Amino acid sequence: MAEQSQQSALGATFPAPPPFWQAFTPENVDRIAQLRAAQAGEAESTSSDTKPIRVLDLPSELRFLQPPEPPADGVWNCFGGRYFLTEPIPTLAEAGVEQLYTPPATPTGKHVDRALILKRLAKSLLLNFLELVGIMSVDPSQNTEKIQDLRTIFINFHHLLNEYRPHQARESLILMMQDQLDRSRAETEGIMRMKEKVEGILEGLGEAKLPESDDTKMDGTDAMEEDIGKGIWDELEKEFS
Amino acid sequence: MADKLTQLQDAVDQLAHQFVASLWYVHKHHDLKKLNEADKILEDKKENEIPDVDKLDPYPEADFKAGQLELARDLIVKEQQIEYLISVLPGLENSEKDQEQLIRQLEEELKEAEVRRQQAVKEKEVVLAKLESVIRSVKRP
Repeated sequence: MAEQSQQSALGATFPAPPPFWQAFTPENVDRIAQLRAAQAGEAESTSSDTKPIRVLDLPSELRFLQPPEPPADGVWNCFGGRYFLTEPIPTLAEAGVEQLYTPPATPTGKHVDRALILKRLAKSLLLNFLELVGIMSVDPSQNTEKIQDLRTIFINFHHLLNEYRPHQARESLILMMQDQLDRSRAETEGIMRMKEKVEGILEGLGEAKLPESDDTKMDGTDAMEEDIGKGIWDELEKEFS
Repeated sequence: MADKLTQLQDAVDQLAHQFVASLWYVHKHHDLKKLNEADKILEDKKENEIPDVDKLDPYPEADFKAGQLELARDLIVKEQQIEYLISVLPGLENSEKDQEQLIRQLEEELKEAEVRRQQAVKEKEVVLAKLESVIRSVKRP
């Protein structure tokens, strides 16, 4: 059976997911959460780092639920390519490009000056292009220097934007969380309103019902019951209309 | 839709493309000038035929000028777009510390809201059950 699936996996256009996805059943996930909680209780004083707690001596079916340690040397391979765990953006100096701006303040600072630099660079782009066109109209062979300038400005611009990426990612996260919060609150509110409405109906019914329980016990006539039933349906209609 | 940073990067790349396209337009569609009355504009002969892409394709002067004007205007518009995008980049006034604080706070609020929602769902179910039992006990007239 296993071999068969292996063969069909080899023949498939898209590879099947790795087989260990089957280990992620709700029961297994619950169990490893319990084990982790137990471990956390034991080693509360020692481990204060933010990494997920590693449980030793796992039963075999839970082994896949524990993420492996990140590679110690900080390098990993994927499809024959070598990648680094932390890949800092190379600075402009490292890339051999002249830095055209004074670097904006430390990452903890505000980013308003960054926008200012970007705007200046954008204006420089246009100006340099104008100069380039001017030079080309006089002597097309003199273009290299100006094109180099343009290139430097473009690279600087993109570099500045790429540096801004993590900031933007956090900002998007904040927006998404805000969204989720709003949705959750709206849902709760909707449920509450519905509940109140239903409770209102029930109360109305209760009033209509009171005489029913009294009277039916006394004479138990069908006509009376029908009457009360009608009252309830009237009440319902009134609520929903 | 892509986020603003990506839009900005795209816009910058488009600006670069427009630079190239503008130069190409001028290069390809300019008219030929006679420096001297006696000059003659030579027709390309068959033997030194140049490939189509390099061939000059002069436009009438009015068309050429109009094209130039449009390209120039587009360049300015693109630059304005870039500046606008820069000014609306998200979170320019937030520092990293602010963001972290905000994220933590939102996380707390989310948890709280989730608890409240769960509670509301439970209450709703109780009320629903009550309503159902009442409806069942009622005979249709």
